[in-house]
Amino acid sequence: MTNSSFQSLEEAISDEHFPEVDLALRRGRHVGRDDGTAYDYLVDALDHLEPFYRRFGCELMQRADGYFYLLPSGDRLGRRQLTAGEMLVGQTLALMYLDPATLQHGGMVQRETLLQRLSGLLGTETLVRTLNPRRRKFDERIAAETVRTKVAEALRRLTDLGFIDSVDDAMLRLRPALMRFAEPVRDLSDRQAALERLVRSGEITLGEAVEKDDSDEEDENDGSDGHSAEDDEEEAGG
Amino acid sequence: MPSDPSRLIAALARDQINLDLKTLDLCFLAGLYLRADRASLASFEEDVLIDMFEQVCDVVDPGAERPRKRATHAIQRLRDQRMLARVDGAGIVRSGEYTLTRLAAAVVEYFLADEALTRESLTLLTGTLRAQLAEILAAARRAETEDAWREHVVAPLRITVGDLVGGIERRQRGLDSQQEEVQAEIAKLLQVDWFGAVDRCQSLLDTTTNTLRELNEVLLRDTHHFVALLQEIQALASEAEQAEPEEAVQRVIEHVDRIAAWGGARQRAWSEYYQYVHRYLRDVVRLDPDRALSQRLRDEVANWPSTPFHLLVAAAPSIRLLRPLESRVERPAVMRPRTDREGSPDLVDPEDAGLNIETLVEDALAAGARSLAEVTEWVLPQFPADLRYAVTGRVADVLARITRTRSAIERPWRTVAPRLEVEDWELPREGDRR
Repeated sequence: MTNSSFQSLEEAISDEHFPEVDLALRRGRHVGRDDGTAYDYLVDALDHLEPFYRRFGCELMQRADGYFYLLPSGDRLGRRQLTAGEMLVGQTLALMYLDPATLQHGGMVQRETLLQRLSGLLGTETLVRTLNPRRRKFDERIAAETVRTKVAEALRRLTDLGFIDSVDDAMLRLRPALMRFAEPVRDLSDRQAALERLVRSGEITLGEAVEKDDSDEEDENDGSDGHSAEDDEEEAGG
Repeated sequence: MPSDPSRLIAALARDQINLDLKTLDLCFLAGLYLRADRASLASFEEDVLIDMFEQVCDVVDPGAERPRKRATHAIQRLRDQRMLARVDGAGIVRSGEYTLTRLAAAVVEYFLADEALTRESLTLLTGTLRAQLAEILAAARRAETEDAWREHVVAPLRITVGDLVGGIERRQRGLDSQQEEVQAEIAKLLQVDWFGAVDRCQSLLDTTTNTLRELNEVLLRDTHHFVALLQEIQALASEAEQAEPEEAVQRVIEHVDRIAAWGGARQRAWSEYYQYVHRYLRDVVRLDPDRALSQRLRDEVANWPSTPFHLLVAAAPSIRLLRPLESRVERPAVMRPRTDREGSPDLVDPEDAGLNIETLVEDALAAGARSLAEVTEWVLPQFPADLRYAVTGRVADVLARITRTRSAIERPWRTVAPRLEVEDWELPREGDRR
């Protein structure tokens, strides 16, 4: 017996929401309560869509925090791991999501506050080296610019993935999906055990990310020339 | 006062309007306001002002020296800023009597008066407003002259109704700031007491939600009546062809619409905030009563560079849409048509009209011409009109070559043909020529 208003998979995928929701999920988007009718549709069609996506080698995950996402477990559907920048920014935003100070503004935070928080948590040097591991020498001005660029890029991708909403140039709205970043520390068990469990379920990978060159990614994603200020500096410096 | 906002702002900028109130000044004003309120004073004698300043000084700045002198400066400063006004008009004859200005009262009221909108105050205000509008409608039905419209409709609309509507709006702003305080208080309560603050936060949320819902209900119900009454007055004014009352009613309708829109907008905004906080209390606070998650996550972020892990997300590429197949098109080379650029020259008649000019000049001289003008006049009629200008130059050239010419410093201009003049030369007599 199912609570779904859809009697069959055919009915579920005939719904007007299906194409949009399907494309969003396949592109890695987390569909949450803030997405309104798209979320309601997923709640309603879950019983039919779970086996449907399983045939593609994916799990349609529903979290108690109020969001859905697609987790590929095989090779049938493409998947990618988040970059170091996305991970650091995502975890820091998750921390801000838990902060009662964010509550006062209904889950809105300023980009500037995020940068301050990141820098405070990691220290500027660690932050710069983590976001740009291949560079050995850093000029302070260039390093700051690089961090800002990487964070802005990470925010853009996290927005596409439905972890946050970009309100304007200065403000971000945090979404419950950010709690995915807190999964390894969500329960009181040993952190290592929690990580292993998440690796087994296909939620995370351990170790350094196999990151493509940024310029390559930019070429792929938006066709821009991927030429950064940092590259200019490197070229100028020989 | 100019009605155009740009002109009004320009006038304020030109007059360099500014306010500079220190905490002591504000406390002094507040002390005076409260004293006037309790003792029903309309004005203050100078000694009372100084006495009040000293009392305020004892609280705000206990160690201050020479408080009387400071009081004198403070009074002058407040007079300069139009916070205090001298009302006795006695000049230097005796010590002055002062009153708080409307500006000072407004500033103090903002800080002291608790003027947030409540169900009671709103019901009272809307009830009075409704009665007032009903009276104005009755007056509008009776009004026959322009004076009657002005006295019984326009004036009450602008003053009584305007004040009542303004009063509701002012209290709405009060409630806005109260809501901000509630939001800050919820954040502070959780910051301090985390799990222990859940019930208190819930209660604050519910209280504000109920207040807003009640106010919105009253506003929705009553503004509908206001607008109906106002439209009736406007129709009567329109029938009587009274432009001024019509315009006054329109302004009040716009004001009332604004008040009604406030209710809806605030309820929507609060509803979003309510849901967000509710979810937070349920998903974050209740599930983590010891607030350990934040600390663990903080440690996790700090240690991430040394033991990194990466979330996995689906990343199906976009469907590739291939372009329709097109057969290869041979593009012709860019070229231009060949033409024979070596054309045959045109045949024209030889120009020999000037060949005999020298002969003609000599003939003229032989005939007794004694100046360039005379020679030219003699030669020109031999040529067609379109050649005469050119021939004139050649005549001068020939003459200069075959004779010795003389000329005055100021050579006179002589007409030699219609629309043709030359600067004349004199010629030597026959025996003097070359």
